Amino acid sequence: MRHINTQLSRYGYILNLGVMGVLLAGILRVVFQLYADGLYPLASALSAITVFLALVYLRRRFTPLRWFAIGVGLAMLFTLYPILYTFYLSVTNMGSGHLMTKQQAIDRLESQLYMPEGGKTYGWAAFRSPDEAYALWLLPEEGPGLLARPGQPLEEAMPGEDGIGAPDQDGIPLTIDGYERLAQNQVVPIISALGAIDFGEPPDTVRIRSLREAVTLKPKYQYDPDRDVMVDQETGTVYRPVEGTFTSDDGETLTPGYIVYVGLHHFERFLGNERFREPLIKIFLWNVSFAFASVFLSFAVGLVVTLLFEGLPGSRVIRALLIIPWPIPVLVSILIWRSMLNPDLGFVAPLLESLFGSSPAWFQNAMWTRVAVILVNVWLSYPYFYVISAGAIRSIPHEIYDAAVVDGASAWGKFQHITLPLLLRILMPLLIASFTFNFNNFNVIYIFNFGLPPMPNTIVPMGQTDILISFVYRLAFITSNVTDYGLAAAITVMLFLLISLMVVFQARFTNLFREAD
Amino acid sequence: MKKILSLVVIAALLCIAGASSVATAQDVALTLWVYDDGRLEVLNALGDQFEAEYGVALTVEVVDLSEIRNIMTLGAASGEGPDMIIIPHDNLGPLVENGSAAPIDLGDKVDFFLPNAIDGFTYDGQLYGLPLAVENIGFFRNTDLVPEAPTTWAEVAEVGAALFDEGAIDSVIGFPDLTYNAYPVYTSFGGYIFGRDETGSFTVDDIGMNNAGMVAGLTWIESLIEDGLVSENIDWEASHVLFETGRSAFIMTGPWAINRFDTAGVPYAISAFPAAEEGGEPGYPFLGVQGLVVNANKDNVLLAQLFAVDFLATEDNYQAIFDAEPRPSAWASIFESASDPNTAGFNEAGVNAVPMPSIPAMGYVWDAWVNAGALVAQGELTPQEALDSAVEQILAQVEG
Repeated sequence: MRHINTQLSRYGYILNLGVMGVLLAGILRVVFQLYADGLYPLASALSAITVFLALVYLRRRFTPLRWFAIGVGLAMLFTLYPILYTFYLSVTNMGSGHLMTKQQAIDRLESQLYMPEGGKTYGWAAFRSPDEAYALWLLPEEGPGLLARPGQPLEEAMPGEDGIGAPDQDGIPLTIDGYERLAQNQVVPIISALGAIDFGEPPDTVRIRSLREAVTLKPKYQYDPDRDVMVDQETGTVYRPVEGTFTSDDGETLTPGYIVYVGLHHFERFLGNERFREPLIKIFLWNVSFAFASVFLSFAVGLVVTLLFEGLPGSRVIRALLIIPWPIPVLVSILIWRSMLNPDLGFVAPLLESLFGSSPAWFQNAMWTRVAVILVNVWLSYPYFYVISAGAIRSIPHEIYDAAVVDGASAWGKFQHITLPLLLRILMPLLIASFTFNFNNFNVIYIFNFGLPPMPNTIVPMGQTDILISFVYRLAFITSNVTDYGLAAAITVMLFLLISLMVVFQARFTNLFREAD
Repeated sequence: MKKILSLVVIAALLCIAGASSVATAQDVALTLWVYDDGRLEVLNALGDQFEAEYGVALTVEVVDLSEIRNIMTLGAASGEGPDMIIIPHDNLGPLVENGSAAPIDLGDKVDFFLPNAIDGFTYDGQLYGLPLAVENIGFFRNTDLVPEAPTTWAEVAEVGAALFDEGAIDSVIGFPDLTYNAYPVYTSFGGYIFGRDETGSFTVDDIGMNNAGMVAGLTWIESLIEDGLVSENIDWEASHVLFETGRSAFIMTGPWAINRFDTAGVPYAISAFPAAEEGGEPGYPFLGVQGLVVNANKDNVLLAQLFAVDFLATEDNYQAIFDAEPRPSAWASIFESASDPNTAGFNEAGVNAVPMPSIPAMGYVWDAWVNAGALVAQGELTPQEALDSAVEQILAQVEG
């Protein structure tokens, strides 16, 4: 028996090794590709996770870890990695104009060409030899034609001599010995490849610039790794790296720039400014109040509705009607509310005006916009609380109420001392989850009024009904053609820390609740 | 038997693999991404024509503008994306800043195009796109209420106030927003967003957003709101609904609104924008230019430039594009020959239109500008304070 067991496990081990081998080979392939694309952080993270998995599955000592190693691996890749990457981004200048690594930016700049003084423009025709070598026939503005081959000096040649065929009406030979002339529709498909070839002997090389023109071109910039500067070959200007951009002494800059470490720059930029800090605290406080008010009011409305319609005749129909807000897509509900409250088009304004003589500015006044947002959110979420509290109430044993009645409890007393505490016990986890959800309830805030009305005198645009998430979104992504990832990451990190604090508090709160049981 | 079978299978696979690799080596094709599908058909037809003439196929795909933007900037380093894109010109700046746009050399053909369309796709003195169509907003009036177009903003307020007092209208003039669609008000008083440097490029060093003209424009709007002639609720939808139901005498909006106004049956005419004072220069709107940009990150740059300059840029092709979707063409002779009154009205309103700045800093302008307008409309800040604050917000973000 013992013998068979070891043998089996040996086979098992070999199988394990084989599967892991294939898996690792696959992952390694991906890692190499990521390295090649310059995605070093992701490649390193993936490597680390792979080593971890390999250890767990190949070392017998770690067998117990196998049960959750995959889960941990995925958590590292999809949760921990993005968080760490955000931290990394927050100390870089990554953003529009700075999206590449330094090497990529250098390659980009070095591939730019210019036409040197005394450079010439030619008409051209392409020829191809059977072994796929190309030659150009160049037609200068005046003078005889030139035969240009890669790596060889330009040769003046006369059509009809030295193996060069008779000219056509443009003066281009119809044939060249060893080469076949390419027609336009043969040239066009390969024109990009042709355009990458330097014809002639360096430094006097000619390149195709368009279907009609070939010109003398030279590299415009050259990187000097010893001095770490970029030198303009045309003017001799020296560009030094300044904050991820090659900059000349006159302040001229070269694009594209590249990603560099900028330290705590983004944090200092805003946290150091009280016209950023104070509004941010305002946003945070409103965010907490919004989430709290939404949960509290939705729950209250849901509960009242439950109690009112419990056991009434026709309650099924009423219940069905009350759940209506639920199946309507949130987006549609919010937009309907938005148009109902519209002061010029909606029916709410004339109604309120006829009743009270005036109607609040639902979209301009900070307080009324907040009221409206909470109102809409309560409308959206009370059916949820209605359904769950209606369910939960039935689970409260009827005997307790009977006992209370015997003790002479009033209806309010029953609610206060039996229904509410027992319901809260059952529903507390849901309430907390709902609070967390509403804390980041981007939809309601953003679709209803984009976080507006604006706060006056802030250093970046901020809205009176902005919550943290909508504020960051507007700052980092809504501006249609600017993307400042470094800044967005820095603010996300700040929010991450704020929200982490919240989570710690919540955890405390739930724990307290448990102890109270 | 088994062995032979497997040999056959392997041989077949090798053949397929070999054949497909040969096929890919020969297959040069161009890809073009457009962000709206209005021109999809005509571009496909032009692509077929290109293939017949030059032997290279063209694939046209409709892709969301934000996706185009992302691929062309974030994907720049790894060479993702199509060979060519059609975009509104105000997206050009970030593409150039990230090295994703290849220059276009139109040579002599440049004279066939509207100069301000060329201007729109010029960045740092270099042309980066082939302009296709232009677009600007116009000054609409309800011809039943106002038969003659007013020439000054003061006249607009006066005519509107009279109608308002009669109870004929609820709102004098519709502002879909206080930024893009209200820009001619600001410009007529001498306002502007960014000035130009010596190369003709817009520059953050000359920011006009809080100059006297901008303040005067916003003050005029504020006075309408204070007098109750315009709602403090600046709302896109509301402004259009008020105009199409005849409850508003004027509106400043673009060609996109034509359809709904026609459907609603409101009698309207489009004309030049009023001026700040009698005999003054009329306000001018932003010009939007749509054009084709070659992706500098791909291997087919030369081929794509050839497609744009040697093939696409002909009067016949531009006429075909215009016939497929009648937006004012960037080809000057086609633009000028547009004869229907709406197009003529837009052209009159946009005769001095200046391309919307495409420098990346423009991206920071909108939010700050919207907020400045809202704060004035709510009476929280004066126009000067609000615009000063907007400038401060823009600079704080530009300086990074």
